[in-house]
Amino acid sequence: MNSLLLKDINKTFGQGSATVTALNHINFKAKAGELTLIIGPSGSGKSTLLTILGGLQTPTQGQVFLQGQSLTELTNKQREKLRLEQIGFVLQAYNLVPYLRVRDQFALVDQLTQHHLAPAAFQQITNKLGISDLLNQFPNELSGGQTQRVALARALYPDPAIILADESTAALDSQRVLVVGQLLQDLAHSENKAIVAVTHDERLKQFADHIYELIDGHLTPVY
Amino acid sequence: MFLARHEMLYEKLRYSLMIAVISLISFLIFIISALALGLANENTEALSSWPTKQVLLSKDANGNMGQSLLSTEALKAYPHQNQQAQVGITPTTLKGQSKNISVQYIGLKSNEYIYQDLKLSSGHKPKHRNEIVVSDKLTQYQLGSKVKLGVSSQTYTIVGKARHAQYNMAPVVYGNLSNWAPIKGVTPNYGGSGIIVKDSSGLKPKHADEKVLSRQAFLNKMPGYAAQNKTFILMIVFLVFISLIVITIFLYILTKEKLNNFAVLRAQGVPNRYLLQNTLGETFIMLLLSVGLASLLAVVSAMLMPKQIPLYFDWQLGLAVGLGILSTGLLGSLIPMRMITKVDPVSAIGG
Ligand SMILES: Nc1ncnc2c1ncn2[C@@H]1O[C@H](COP(=O)(O)OP(=O)(O)O)[C@@H](O)[C@H]1O
Ligand SMILES: [Mg+2]
Repeated sequence: MNSLLLKDINKTFGQGSATVTALNHINFKAKAGELTLIIGPSGSGKSTLLTILGGLQTPTQGQVFLQGQSLTELTNKQREKLRLEQIGFVLQAYNLVPYLRVRDQFALVDQLTQHHLAPAAFQQITNKLGISDLLNQFPNELSGGQTQRVALARALYPDPAIILADESTAALDSQRVLVVGQLLQDLAHSENKAIVAVTHDERLKQFADHIYELIDGHLTPVY
Repeated sequence: MFLARHEMLYEKLRYSLMIAVISLISFLIFIISALALGLANENTEALSSWPTKQVLLSKDANGNMGQSLLSTEALKAYPHQNQQAQVGITPTTLKGQSKNISVQYIGLKSNEYIYQDLKLSSGHKPKHRNEIVVSDKLTQYQLGSKVKLGVSSQTYTIVGKARHAQYNMAPVVYGNLSNWAPIKGVTPNYGGSGIIVKDSSGLKPKHADEKVLSRQAFLNKMPGYAAQNKTFILMIVFLVFISLIVITIFLYILTKEKLNNFAVLRAQGVPNRYLLQNTLGETFIMLLLSVGLASLLAVVSAMLMPKQIPLYFDWQLGLAVGLGILSTGLLGSLIPMRMITKVDPVSAIGG
């Protein structure tokens, strides 16, 4: 089964002559245990695609399936629960709550749902991401790389089937990009997650199991 | 409350300053309310102590007992009743060994209820025409002191001190009704200024130039009473309004700063309700701490305040004021809450 499946997705903004077609008849799939990269220049529709994959926006046309479940058939509340439990977002900025210590970023999830990693599995993740020593820090005490790794751990904590990463290397130097790329690949393989990353960063290509190219709203599989 | 608690602990300075501001405003509201009640009490204390349901006085007096004159003939139309008391009330001057004091002389008949129910803190009730009882606020006079009253040349002896004896902002001197005319300086044709009724048995005026007022109507006509109360109510409403604006502005700025983060939380699937509860919780904690601090401050300052300032605290007033501040504060969180519901989770994903 595909973790994510897009069938003939169109997304347009505006009316009449002002209409912008952000996504044009897109077909896409992502599987568990694989890192799938969507690469494209700025303005090509990457963020729009990611919001549709995450159930934050509905497409103008077409169908979205998450774990075989059609997203368009769900209510807002059900989509919210799905985002909380089945999707881990790794976003560009503001990813962490500024006034919560690292450990409380996870405790917040505990407040909201029973669906999260057991302590042993959580410890394994924090060790793997090298953040075990950072649990008492506040976000503004972390370096860029540390923030990135905590954000990844936060995304993994509800034990979601899918991880969606938005330009997650935009703020990083070359050295860091390679580290994050390696990490995303490792997590996809070892944790059996379907990880979809959108980026304009060519340097990430070497870590991907599958690559799509997005240009002016047209999506083409590369391999 | 999880987010609220952590945020307040993280931003200690910011929230402390806010709590300080709201506390000071609340403190001011407490003190002004206590002062309003205290001053109102200075007008009504004696009336309430009797107690009073209705007042009969002459029409010309326009509700002012000090201006009311009833002739001895007219008073004969009102025979003795258990629930009624004839009084002769006049503002006058008490002259003794220390400096002159403005007082309200209240002449009573010893067979009527006000005299009989009089509560003394020391001494005894007047037994002879030249004996008087004064308010226990007049601490400069001891029992046995000799004083003069108004234009009367008679010397009076203080034989007792009365509790709750304050009328129209002045301490009360109780004495015999027959002394009222000489103290006021009117001819003995006049027998008193009015009749007080303690229950709602219903007194009807028996002459065209007389009028019966309810307790409230009588109070509203009392010189200065209504104006004073309205001023205080205006001040309190204004202060509550200011606190509403301060709270709204503060929460607005705080919330605006957090909108980006709220968008991310919404994208991650955190329900709107959870974020709203937190903002409400934060406001509630802040207000509760402020009101608590303010009441503490008010109690302490009431103890330090000089006796002349008539602060009057009671827990009902405190509770009402506290609840008022609390509910206006929560009202102040409405705009920020609306901002939160408008957050678009799509905006969390950008670039
Ligand atoms: N809410 C919107 N309203 C109008 N146009 C939009 C909106 N969101 C995106 N677009 C347009 O869709 C296109 C794709 O945007 P986006 O998905 O943000 O691209 P990318 O993330 O690749 O930079 C752009 O032309 C953008 O202007
Ligand atoms: Mg983008």
